[in-house]
Amino acid sequence: MGASGSGKSTLLGLLAGLDDPTSGTVALNGTVISNLAEDRLAQLRGRTIGFVFQSYQLIPTLTALENVLLPYELNDDSGGQKAGLERARELLVSVGLSARMDHYPVQLSGGEQQRVALARAFILRPPIVLADEPTGNLDTVNGEHILELLLHLNHVEGTTLVLVTHDPALAAHARRVITLRDGLVVSDVVKAAAPPVSAPSVGL
Amino acid sequence: MARLSYGTAARIATRELHSSRGKFTFVIMSVAIGVAALTGVRGFSSAFRTTLLLRARSIMAADVAARTNTPATPDQQAGLKELTAAGNEESPVTEMLSMASSTTSLDPLLVSLKAVDPAKYPFYGTVVLEPAIPLKQALTDTTVAVGDDLLLRLHLHVGDSIKLGTERFRIAAVVEDEPDRLSGSFAAGPRVLLTQRALAATGLMAPGSRVTRRYLFKLPPAKPGQALSDAAVAALKTKLETLLPEAQITDYREANPALTKALDGATGLLSLMSLVALVLGAVGVAMAMRAHLQQRLDSIAIMKSLGAGSTQVMKIYLMQTLLLGLGGGVLGVVLGIGVQMAFPLFLAKLLHLTPSLRLDVHAIGLGLGAGLLTTLLFTLPPLLDIRNVRPILILRRNVEASDDPFTTRMLRKLKGSIAQIVASVFILAGLVLLATRVSDSRQVGEWFAGGLVVVLMVLLAMSAVMLWLLRVFLRGTRLHLPSSLRHGLANLYRPGNPSAALLAALGLGVMQIAAVYMVQRSIVNEMHVTTMENVPNIFLIDMSTDEVMGVKVLLSQQASVKGTPEIVPVVSSRLIAIKSVAMDKLKLQHMGRAGQSLNLTWAPTADAPPPGDKVVEGKWWTAQMAADSASHPLVAIERGRANRMKVKPGDTITLSAQDDRMVATVAAVYEADSRHTFSRAEFILPEPALAGLPVVWYGGVHCDPGATAMLRRVLYEHFPTVTVIDVAATLEVIRQVLLQVTYVIQFLAAFSIFAGIVILASAIAGTRYRRIREVVVLKTLGATRPRIATIFSIEFAVLGLIAGAVGLVFANLLARELLLRVLHFDYQFQPWMNLGTWIAVAMLTVVAGWMASHRVLGQKPLEVLREE
Repeated sequence: MGASGSGKSTLLGLLAGLDDPTSGTVALNGTVISNLAEDRLAQLRGRTIGFVFQSYQLIPTLTALENVLLPYELNDDSGGQKAGLERARELLVSVGLSARMDHYPVQLSGGEQQRVALARAFILRPPIVLADEPTGNLDTVNGEHILELLLHLNHVEGTTLVLVTHDPALAAHARRVITLRDGLVVSDVVKAAAPPVSAPSVGL
Repeated sequence: MARLSYGTAARIATRELHSSRGKFTFVIMSVAIGVAALTGVRGFSSAFRTTLLLRARSIMAADVAARTNTPATPDQQAGLKELTAAGNEESPVTEMLSMASSTTSLDPLLVSLKAVDPAKYPFYGTVVLEPAIPLKQALTDTTVAVGDDLLLRLHLHVGDSIKLGTERFRIAAVVEDEPDRLSGSFAAGPRVLLTQRALAATGLMAPGSRVTRRYLFKLPPAKPGQALSDAAVAALKTKLETLLPEAQITDYREANPALTKALDGATGLLSLMSLVALVLGAVGVAMAMRAHLQQRLDSIAIMKSLGAGSTQVMKIYLMQTLLLGLGGGVLGVVLGIGVQMAFPLFLAKLLHLTPSLRLDVHAIGLGLGAGLLTTLLFTLPPLLDIRNVRPILILRRNVEASDDPFTTRMLRKLKGSIAQIVASVFILAGLVLLATRVSDSRQVGEWFAGGLVVVLMVLLAMSAVMLWLLRVFLRGTRLHLPSSLRHGLANLYRPGNPSAALLAALGLGVMQIAAVYMVQRSIVNEMHVTTMENVPNIFLIDMSTDEVMGVKVLLSQQASVKGTPEIVPVVSSRLIAIKSVAMDKLKLQHMGRAGQSLNLTWAPTADAPPPGDKVVEGKWWTAQMAADSASHPLVAIERGRANRMKVKPGDTITLSAQDDRMVATVAAVYEADSRHTFSRAEFILPEPALAGLPVVWYGGVHCDPGATAMLRRVLYEHFPTVTVIDVAATLEVIRQVLLQVTYVIQFLAAFSIFAGIVILASAIAGTRYRRIREVVVLKTLGATRPRIATIFSIEFAVLGLIAGAVGLVFANLLARELLLRVLHFDYQFQPWMNLGTWIAVAMLTVVAGWMASHRVLGQKPLEVLREE
């Protein structure tokens, strides 16, 4: 966590290989990524990292279902569309959007859009999910709901969740909290155990 | 809310211009290219037309000519005086047949006299004399200039004398060429050129003698730097038609049918190209402005949240638009002038013509005005949208979310868009106004303006329908399609995506570019046929039946003669009645008494029209009907003549030849081809109908233009009674003009097509900004560049295919209407050309999209983390 301008996004960008470090190397899941060609990197990233952004970043021309399916299509060469489709539907049901699958992003509220984004982040069962201020654009109720879903999915799928926030309440959910200020790590606290995850309340 | 002064608005607007120079340069360039195309094409075409028409006028030696066989009444003379008092120059030309004799041998010879006023005649072109002296010097009241055949036949030389009527004249020169030879009479006998006073002195113009008078007119010069207006010519023509009802009035554009057609075609096409340049420029402006305003949405939201009212924001962006329009307009005019100056340089070798490099103020004003106006007209509706930009946008994107049924949404949208609709009506009105200003040919302008509105509506509707169909198709199949294809197709109807607008713009562009190409091609094709080698340029008048074989043999022995000579029988006749009404009871204008004496001919084949003639009404007779024609005479009449006589197939006309009367039924109306000698006769009958009547033969043959003098001499030697008229020089002028027309319109068409493609490509490129975010998201999710490129390529290819198909359908319709109805050229559907164009459009769209998206593809995915 850290305040605005502390370097959170830069770090996240480097971790995901979205940007090149000016010096040093970045290794993702044991693979050095800072010297990879862009397209190789994209493929690696697609399989390894799921993203949740503050402003959802759904593709406006695709339906909710298609948005969720997109990483699967972009990264799966086996052509097993059916399996992907099933998984996408399951995820959408689990975030409570079973009735909104064929809606376009503009037809969805902010909370709904972010739930689609959650489903999209987990579809490939990535080892890592990066969430950048996932509740930043939402009201308290929706924000809490998204957080619950995120933690729940994290728990169910067994992924490493990297959550970027400036909100101490949000950070309280994490097992390890790294605090940044002016581009430097000022503290790195590891808690013994994560707080219990309440069952997500589906449907608002 | 404090009132925002225009000065402050302009300052804010310029400040914003500074901040994102790259994007604005793009907008300015789009405007500039449109305006440059318009100014360049307009400026050059008006300069070219002026030069071209000057040449066309030399064929008639005047702007307008009135030809009559009756002497002017005192009233008419007063009327003619009035016309000259109004600033028109007038000069009479008198032509008649007469006898001349050598003063030494007294041998008589039939000559064709032409009396002119050497002080004025010819208004355009020159009379070429040998020795090369000016006409004024050659023609005095006691001297004449004669054709070289007269010298040959009377064994005279320059300096000798001939006797005409009661007077003797010294031969001062040989006439080599007269500019108006084609529009004068094709009478038998060598030419004798003399002054009007000399003719009066001969006493030959006794009452009752057959004299043809042509009054040549030259309009007062137009203001410097301006072409002679077609309207002034038409006005003089109308005045003359009322003043001299029995006369045949022609203006310079009608001097030669091929030339007239070429000029009409070129004028029409140039108008079309100017209009296309205008509309494409506007499309470029519209697309650029649209993309630009989309980009400004954030700034607008910020300004609004800082307390700016809609009016103030609109004021700022209006100022910005005006600045961009003006900047683009000025740059475009400069570019256009460059283009205009470069044209003659490119064409110098082909044309031997240097259009004056003066700056056409009119064209510049028009270009600048068009640039500014279209910028405004096309940006007003999106600017009015500013009122709907809510400051909330600064906090949240995509605030618009609605599950209302489609109809309610549309209704609400319609209600909210009244201002836009009103603005759009103004756009169209403005466009129509500009179109009529731009067009040299009013008809083309009207068709275009009317067509544009309809086509734009249909294009928009069709684009919407296509997109809707695509959507339905995707709904049904989408998850079964390969994901790149599905994603590419889905991109076409993204919410808030200007796909329909882009489709309409592309379709319109394709339509206009393809229409220009088709019209150009048709005109050029026809003119190539017209300028073919074998056009007769030597005419043989008054051959007797027993001379025909000999002439044919002699001609076939000449190396300079190209193709087969066409020798046509002519039977002189008089028109007695039309539809059983006697001629003197009929009041037909512009027929005159000469109209009653006609030339009849028969076709070489019994059951088909002579070469070059085309039946336009009725049916040609069969061999059987021809055989029966001695008892049931039939006649085919040339279209112009039939129109003047007001007869249709089925009507009868009564003819008399050699005191025989014959009531002939009109079987067909045909269109003559001026390239064939047969066009000299306007009435064709089956041969049996004319059996036994006295026949003279006319011939036409093509000879190398350089060798005509030789051929003439050979013909004089062997057939001294046959008159040879040499129009090679005149035809060469026409041929040159036609060639120049084809070169110029091909060149200009290529230029407009090129400019059009650039504009359309930039319209496509203008959509790139909205792709940046999407590319970034896709990359973050693991999409490789080839994958993204595939998605975009599919999107662009479909866009190109749809726009190409719609555009080509309308291009064919537009070209067909323009060619057939307005310009009277042939239209032929060309499947391969259309298919090729279609594929080319799709490919060009993909390439343009690619080039535009290239930089976008290189975008670092980090952007995704930075909020917009």
